Amino acid sequence: MSVTAARPARSSALPGILRLVRPRTRWRELALLGLVAVALVVGSISLGATADARPGLDAGRVPQAADLRLMDARGLGIYLAALLVAHLAFVLAGRRTDQVLLPAVGMLGGIGLLLMQRLPQDLVTQSFGSTDLGLGQLQLAWLVLAIGVATVVGIVVRSDSWLRLYKYTWAAAGIALLLLTFVLGTDVNGARLSLDIGPLSGQPSELLKVILVVFLAGYLSENRPLLVEENTRIGPIRLPPLPYLAPMLAMWAIALGIVIVQRDLGAALLFFAVFLSLLYIATARRSFVVLGIILFLVGAFVLYKLFGHVQQRVDVWLDPFDDAQGAGYQVVQALYAFARGGLLGTGLGAGLPLIAGNPPIPAVHTDFPLAALGEELGLIGLLAILGLYLVVVERGLRIAAAAADDFRAILAAGLSLVVGVQAFIIAAGNLKLIPLTGITLPFISYGGSSLLANALVVGLLLALSDRGVEPPPPPRARRRFARLRGAR
Amino acid sequence: MDGFTLTIWIVRLLFLGLLYLFLFAVVRVLLRDLRSAARDRTELGRLIVVESPAGEPTVGAVFGLDAIATIGRDVNNTVVVDDPFASGQHASLTYRGRNWYVEDLGSTNGTFINGTPVESVAPLGYGDEVQVGEVRFRLERARA
Repeated sequence: MSVTAARPARSSALPGILRLVRPRTRWRELALLGLVAVALVVGSISLGATADARPGLDAGRVPQAADLRLMDARGLGIYLAALLVAHLAFVLAGRRTDQVLLPAVGMLGGIGLLLMQRLPQDLVTQSFGSTDLGLGQLQLAWLVLAIGVATVVGIVVRSDSWLRLYKYTWAAAGIALLLLTFVLGTDVNGARLSLDIGPLSGQPSELLKVILVVFLAGYLSENRPLLVEENTRIGPIRLPPLPYLAPMLAMWAIALGIVIVQRDLGAALLFFAVFLSLLYIATARRSFVVLGIILFLVGAFVLYKLFGHVQQRVDVWLDPFDDAQGAGYQVVQALYAFARGGLLGTGLGAGLPLIAGNPPIPAVHTDFPLAALGEELGLIGLLAILGLYLVVVERGLRIAAAAADDFRAILAAGLSLVVGVQAFIIAAGNLKLIPLTGITLPFISYGGSSLLANALVVGLLLALSDRGVEPPPPPRARRRFARLRGAR
Repeated sequence: MDGFTLTIWIVRLLFLGLLYLFLFAVVRVLLRDLRSAARDRTELGRLIVVESPAGEPTVGAVFGLDAIATIGRDVNNTVVVDDPFASGQHASLTYRGRNWYVEDLGSTNGTFINGTPVESVAPLGYGDEVQVGEVRFRLERARA
């Protein structure tokens, strides 16, 4: 039997360029982006006016009339222009992709940009030739690059066979990346997270999470019928065929390895949580979730007993005030910041009094942006930001529900969950709901790897949301199933 | 309260208000989208014709599926396949629990899933291909 699928005739009848230029208006996206622009301009004015008044207020003078100006008009202008260009590119490409994701993510990125412009600019500096770029400008550069990546991926990706067919290649690439970090990685704050190759440096775990989701989507969609079978019984627990549990145990081992070798608790927690959610989505078996949580608890207990850095994190979580000037300093300062913010916050630019020229929370721009935002926008602002993450997750799950086949459904669900779970882990860590683990807040935290990896996620979600894409490739005959089917 | 502090207060609250206005606009779009999806949802799955040498059904035709659908040459079937290699009552598709199953109804030339012959009943996943006679169908999720 031939395996070539019948494709719609028009895809081969027209040359590529002609198919590309078939504009389709996206008024909903434009209207939402307009709201984003208005909100960010007002936020920038609030920040600029406060920043102007600060020196005077600190000197004891109260200015009588406010000189309302934007904090960094050019920076914000470039960011909004980039969003508009992305919108126009989608209009010109004429694909029927999701219209809510770009504004929602653009709002999160814009809030992050305002925060980075507000924080002391010398937290991160980098010089290119004669120009020195501070925190705000670097974040802006990464954001523009990230919007570019999301747009290009969202427009260009029309077929998912390059993801679907090479899942083991992707898994191998991911493991290679992980091993490379184990061996060559540099230690930052006692955790081996970043990889420097020549002039480039980055955090591979950010890219790894995308690769992980792609692999899991491929594996789970292919083996779903087998995983739902229950032919192994251990006491009251009914399990699928044992060989198909191997990847689950391998996942668990990889998560443990990340904790032990890389000391990256956040990435390990993220990978395992996303893995369990996808397993549940693919099979709808609660026993897997129970089993996974038991494995997690066992692993967590053993790691707690064996490793000092895990113990320290948990102890700080249980009582940060026990060592408020030492190990618990970061968490304690974050709690103070949330407390200062209260319900409405101090206003952008008015929070975070510097301690000896430094912001009181170490790593506020990467690990604690939520504490800074909680102080300046208050509980109300914080809830709005968490709501925006919920919107991103809802869109992803909605795209998954509308997907044509299992691979796309699991891929879309996984991509959105990876963002949602990551936001939850770091937000809950900042709020002392769970032990603090150092990962970034998606779209808001400073950092190139984080922004680009999350842009890749958004781009793939946009590409998957298009109803008019190429149909899924015909599945290959699965010889392994023949045995099971014959047994019936 | 002096003018400056008042202005800053207003701008601050305006920013928070605009954040919520945006969130409200987004949620309204999402709700509308979910409502329209809930209204249209009548089918449990879709059968799409991938290959059909005899031309009936035509390639690209879409059949919305109920919990039980039969495929065959007889006009009383849910999906009528006018193919010389298809039997009158060829195969049936049923949705039980969370899964689709294909049953071969004793056809002459057999029913195939992704090229593998079906012996009595076999589970079918979304994206799988069913072959009846020389006609190939692909099972897809219902449009949500």
